[in-house]
Amino acid sequence: MRRPSASRVRTHHAVSPWLFLLPGLAVVATFSLYPFLTTVHKAFTDARTLTPGTWVGTANFRAMLDDEQFWTALRNSALYVALVVPFTVLLPLLLALLVHKQLPGVAFFRSAFYTPVVASVVVVALIWGWMLDDRGLVNALLHTLGAGPVGFLGNAWLLLLSAMALTVWKGLGYYMVIYLAALANVPRELHEAAAVDGAGALRRFVSVTVPAVRSTMVLVGALSSVAAFKVFSEVYLLAGPTGGPAGQDTTLVMLVQRTGTGLNGRVGYASALSLVIFVIALLLMLLVLRADRKEDL
Amino acid sequence: MPLSRPRRATATVPLLVAALALTACGSGDAGSGDGGGSSADGKPEGDITFQTWNLRANFKDYFEGLVKDFEKQYPGVKVTWRDQPAEHYADKLSADAAGGTLPDVVNVSPDLSHPLAKAGVLMNLDKEKAAARFKGDYTPEAWQGNTLPGLGGSYSFPWYLNTGPLFYNKALFREAGLDPEKPPKSYDELFAAADRMARQSGGRTATLAGTPAIEDFGRYGVRLMNDDATKFTYNEPKGVELLTKYKELYDHGGLDPQALTNTPEKSGQKFLEQKVAMNPGSAHDLDTFKKNAPTLYRNLGITEAPNNTGRPNMYVMGLAVSRQSRHKAAAIAFAHFVTDRKNQETFGHKVAVFPSTKGSLDDPYWTKDDGTDEGRVRVASAKMLKGAVNYTPVVMSEEMKTVLRNEVAKALQGKKTPRQALDDAAAQSDKLLRQS
Repeated sequence: MRRPSASRVRTHHAVSPWLFLLPGLAVVATFSLYPFLTTVHKAFTDARTLTPGTWVGTANFRAMLDDEQFWTALRNSALYVALVVPFTVLLPLLLALLVHKQLPGVAFFRSAFYTPVVASVVVVALIWGWMLDDRGLVNALLHTLGAGPVGFLGNAWLLLLSAMALTVWKGLGYYMVIYLAALANVPRELHEAAAVDGAGALRRFVSVTVPAVRSTMVLVGALSSVAAFKVFSEVYLLAGPTGGPAGQDTTLVMLVQRTGTGLNGRVGYASALSLVIFVIALLLMLLVLRADRKEDL
Repeated sequence: MPLSRPRRATATVPLLVAALALTACGSGDAGSGDGGGSSADGKPEGDITFQTWNLRANFKDYFEGLVKDFEKQYPGVKVTWRDQPAEHYADKLSADAAGGTLPDVVNVSPDLSHPLAKAGVLMNLDKEKAAARFKGDYTPEAWQGNTLPGLGGSYSFPWYLNTGPLFYNKALFREAGLDPEKPPKSYDELFAAADRMARQSGGRTATLAGTPAIEDFGRYGVRLMNDDATKFTYNEPKGVELLTKYKELYDHGGLDPQALTNTPEKSGQKFLEQKVAMNPGSAHDLDTFKKNAPTLYRNLGITEAPNNTGRPNMYVMGLAVSRQSRHKAAAIAFAHFVTDRKNQETFGHKVAVFPSTKGSLDDPYWTKDDGTDEGRVRVASAKMLKGAVNYTPVVMSEEMKTVLRNEVAKALQGKKTPRQALDDAAAQSDKLLRQS
């Protein structure tokens, strides 16, 4: 049997990894890269659902500047990030600290806190909708206390805050698990040494726990800020397809859905909106990651 | 060194697969098809697909029987029936139309057929002799209901019609000192009743759960569009008058506090829970009331939606034939078969919908009250259908309906005057119309 030449072996080694990667690359190219590139192209056309459209340059982006709904949606998405992210960074850490300790029955609480993560967002939002209805559970409780009724689902601001509370509550368990993994890597000796030096629980949290899980906090911040900016389901389900009273709770992704779908969908405009969301989400992530680098210096 | 032939082939296949997959995703030009192969006036034969809109769950046996009967009558034709859920039906149609896979015979309403016809994927029945010869089988109103403005003809065979009664809660009417046997018939009577209901209940019971939609403007007597359907006119003084009255109603508690965000499903739920006194619905709802709200069912009143024009609103369903169909003769024959008098009347006996074929509504089944609740709704609704019109302009897209709803909400909140809100809604909708 003839042995393969050295050059053929080299070629084989160079080509084989690509052959293994090809199926995965084909999937990514088909379902991620191609749609993304198509979206970029469509953003500069007046394409509609049933017509491919013609090149219109930056007309869609200029139209956005005059679109009142776009500014409302941008404001709501930005508010979502500003108000949701601090809670999704801090609350899961506190929860993780509570269930981190090996206490009897702690597994039950870990599971309980994680349950909302596995529950369907549609079901959860429906239940929240019933609870927050003007004659729902929350208003009934307020009534027994002599207060209310509060129009959680009728007032645009309260509706948005209710959707934010739902997002925070639903995400707690997921981020808690990430923190639990990080906390497992914090050396116990650090806490013991700090305790010996007279540091109280709060001091140990600020000076030992937070620095030890800082990278995880940045990761959680980056993940939750992008997720919050792209929020759709919670607001859509609580506020309805019009985006709350007079559309005042519309978020950017809801606006994409509203303008780009259906038989008359303005695909070009919706693609331009998607591109704006992509750029802002990217900048948001870079900003958070940059903050992490600065603290390292 | 080049790859040996088998290896080159191994490396090339995934690339080709990827390239094919990529090119397969490209959206086709829906309007570029020449209409396919077989002629419309030829012999019906070949395999065709038939798509209905959320009908399998309740009428599987009926449609399977219908397909079997047709195939027996036309042995050369094989019909594949498929059904799509109610949600995102328009998205499914748009994906099929863009991909060139629209079913040969497809269930549409006029607002869905308009964009499809405009994109050139539906057959103009008035211009296709083989289809136009059936025009006389249907009532002129039904055929006209499927005629699309600016597109020179009708694009669907008229199928079933519905009006949708207005349900009301007699117990809540009694509590408010209103005569439960005399529900409001006009908008002025409705506003007066709602005002009384709100005052008598101390603001706890609203009369309606939703804000006025385009059909309300139509029934109030507002001119909705100009004659050539190129401009919305609901901001004329009559429209402003209606919205001003709704604003007063909202301020006085005549509308549910969550009326600005309620979906039809939520409104239905509030009526079921007896939180609102009146709600539009259909005969399907009677079963729900019977099962889930027996107290409400015992106090249920059924009337027509308030109307100032004397012409109630009508919902129209049709069967369109795809221009891309490869077996047009078979598709036309099947669409006509499903919508012919015999089959429409049979379907109308299975569910509370009404046939659109000439003379069908004169049948005693739709004219004589048999004493049951269902019979009462059926006869009342069938009576309303004579002279009914489809108020929703077929060119009004979902986005335009959302624009109107949001501007109405701004007026009800007091953020804009009714005139300003309607002017803005009409201007935004006109802009969307020009872009379409």
